[in-house]
Amino acid sequence: MVAPPLVVHLPPRMATWLLTVGGVLLAAASSASLALLAFVAVGRLPLVASLGRWSDDLLAQRSPLSVALGGVAAVLVVAFAVRFTRVFVARARATRDSFRLAAELPRQGGELCVFETAARRAFAVPGKPGCIVVSSGMLQELDAAQRRALLAHERAHLQHRHHVHQTVAWLAAAVNPLIGANRAAVELACERWADEDASRVCPREVVAETLSRAAVGRPAELPGLALCAATTAVVARLDALRAPKRTATFWPLLTFAGAALSTAVAAVMSWRYTEGLFELAQEAYRAGRH
Amino acid sequence: MENGAALKRRQNGALESEILATLWAAKRPLTAGEVAAELDGTLAYTTVQTILARLLAKGAVQRQQAGRAHAYSAVLDGSGIAATKMRAQLDGSNDRTSVLSRFLQDLSPEDEATLSTLLELRRGRGDS
Repeated sequence: MVAPPLVVHLPPRMATWLLTVGGVLLAAASSASLALLAFVAVGRLPLVASLGRWSDDLLAQRSPLSVALGGVAAVLVVAFAVRFTRVFVARARATRDSFRLAAELPRQGGELCVFETAARRAFAVPGKPGCIVVSSGMLQELDAAQRRALLAHERAHLQHRHHVHQTVAWLAAAVNPLIGANRAAVELACERWADEDASRVCPREVVAETLSRAAVGRPAELPGLALCAATTAVVARLDALRAPKRTATFWPLLTFAGAALSTAVAAVMSWRYTEGLFELAQEAYRAGRH
Repeated sequence: MENGAALKRRQNGALESEILATLWAAKRPLTAGEVAAELDGTLAYTTVQTILARLLAKGAVQRQQAGRAHAYSAVLDGSGIAATKMRAQLDGSNDRTSVLSRFLQDLSPEDEATLSTLLELRRGRGDS
């Protein structure tokens, strides 16, 4: 996959945006292509052809695709639409729950809510305004500089609305399973972004220490949810914090723009082709009636 | 772009959080001077005092007499509302749908062992 190196080799803010926008473009292009394929196949059904006043014979002759392939496309269009709706509803609910939670949590001071448990936990709860939730166990484990790093990290999540990026990545992956890995990549990019933001209030080594202190010896509260990807993500974040800071360069944007442009051109060309095909079929239909 | 006032408000919020976190981390009540010392002199004593006064007014901290100074401690969430709500949230939602960003995802015991080894190795290298 291209995404993980992209996350590590680019400044995280740029990586997050490229991955999110790129995911949307890919999802839009693949959905449009599938819809076209399905439409050409459905248009060949005699009933649909007579309703649309075009010639199903001409479509059958000129169309480069078999009905079977179009049928598969039609099934996929429906399946992805269902998936998209499901993910959309789930994320909308989760966001609403989070905003409610942020409003209900007892805040000590403005943005912070501490809850008492020995487990080391820290969350950014998106809301209006968002809330940083940290367990007392986590705060006791860290020194002053590390606490500052942790708070800055969580604040960055809220300030840059990382949950929106992640929701967009989920929606894009819902209609294109091939970019499923993009969700984890966007998540990692957001974490990196927050780590780099935290490194503006304290040295990068401190951010790395905070991360490892929080990670090791952490009692597992939710058995069964243990994710193998987690270490890779944490280790990748630690590595990135130890490496020299990445500065923004021009070439990734250029590459991205090139890829996006070619995708868009391909989509427009197939759309124009299909349009032309149906115009021909309509002419054939009219000619056939005379 | 953020205007000056909004930026200042956010910075104040960050300072409040930092001082609150310090009180939560301490095992006993701290005086303003002790808080300032704990923060490694990143904040002036007067700033710490001002923010503690603000937190006191909000009811986020309580204070008691400690010799000639006041000692401050975080107000415990007696009914445990925060803990209950967080637990409900965590139990109710799975990773698929949650929009909360966790500082760390849950690690498996093996993951944790790997990470510990890595850290040990690095520590060893740092000492030599």
